[in-house]
Amino acid sequence: MAARNGKNGLLEKWRIDEKPVKIDKWDGAAVKNSLDDAAKKVLLEKYGYAENFNLVDGRLLICTISCLFAIVALIWDFLHPFPESKPVLAICVISYFIMMGFLTLYTSYQEKNIFLVSVQKDPAGMDLNHTWQLSSSLKRFDDQYTLRVSFTDGKSKHTREQEITKSVGAFFDGNGTLVMDQFEKCVSKLHNTLATEKKTK
Amino acid sequence: MLSLDFLDDVRRMNKRQLYYQVLNFGMIVSSALMIWKGLMVVTGSESPIVVVLSGSMEPAFHRGDLLFLTNRVEDPIRVGEIVVFRIEGREIPIVHRVLKIHEKENGEIKFLTKGDNNSVDDRGPYKPGQHWLEKKDVVGRARGFVPYIGIVTILMNDYPKFKYAVLFLLGLFVLVHRE
Repeated sequence: MAARNGKNGLLEKWRIDEKPVKIDKWDGAAVKNSLDDAAKKVLLEKYGYAENFNLVDGRLLICTISCLFAIVALIWDFLHPFPESKPVLAICVISYFIMMGFLTLYTSYQEKNIFLVSVQKDPAGMDLNHTWQLSSSLKRFDDQYTLRVSFTDGKSKHTREQEITKSVGAFFDGNGTLVMDQFEKCVSKLHNTLATEKKTK
Repeated sequence: MLSLDFLDDVRRMNKRQLYYQVLNFGMIVSSALMIWKGLMVVTGSESPIVVVLSGSMEPAFHRGDLLFLTNRVEDPIRVGEIVVFRIEGREIPIVHRVLKIHEKENGEIKFLTKGDNNSVDDRGPYKPGQHWLEKKDVVGRARGFVPYIGIVTILMNDYPKFKYAVLFLLGLFVLVHRE
């Protein structure tokens, strides 16, 4: 957060990280997104973990390749009008839908509901980094938000999970503004339970 | 900067999320494109779905009907059948009935068309000097149709500003809205 060079200056002015989050309290997707973002913020800012983007990058890569197939089909068909472009079009279309299949499998089985993979670097600088993962779920038209924190020990590769389910009404006021303090307390408690478990083992 | 609250979500996104929004938009466009090209490949026609633009085929087809076409090589064109064709140099497809056919031994044909609701055959609209249509002018044969839905396409073409406005708003919505 601290180190941004001049190139990102315009992006900085555009971003509004510090403004309190206000969403439409009846929009389930917006509620879940804002809670997820807030949980991310707690882990990354308060505890200083580094975000690992591999999961998200995988999804971005699959989507980019799919769009490339579509672009190739478009350009080829433009340069060689229809009947001649048939085989190329057929290949691109089939590849595109195969990529879509990949994407669905990827989001369902690899990503699941995980929205943050972060690394807790060992202060001593040795290679034993622990991984913290956050995943959440909020059913449609339901108010029960479940946040799951999972801790993977760098050395033993052992994973421990802890989850908490609460009504979203506990974190938003009547106007739809997220009360960060309440939520941060909740996330921190979850985090510390897992962290202390680690120490007692 | 203008304080447009609906952009708040976008302003809170990091680079990856912004890229994903753009990708999302790209994927929607690509999906539509791929379905269209896929239909082209499967039906063999370069325009597998057309809208009837005039009333020249009433009472069979009315202005605004949506037609699903196939253009298989094996389908022989016979007198009395309805074909969708393009006149060389023009973009709009025309849906009329075949009136006369001249066929060579090797299967090459030249045919004349006329709209059911027209009083004269299509020689007038053909290219100057052209008296017959050939296989290459055919876009396809109608295999199925849905009435009235094509009116939307006709409206969009008659009022292009409306079309651009709708597309712009849809695009903006997809780009700004988070999944």
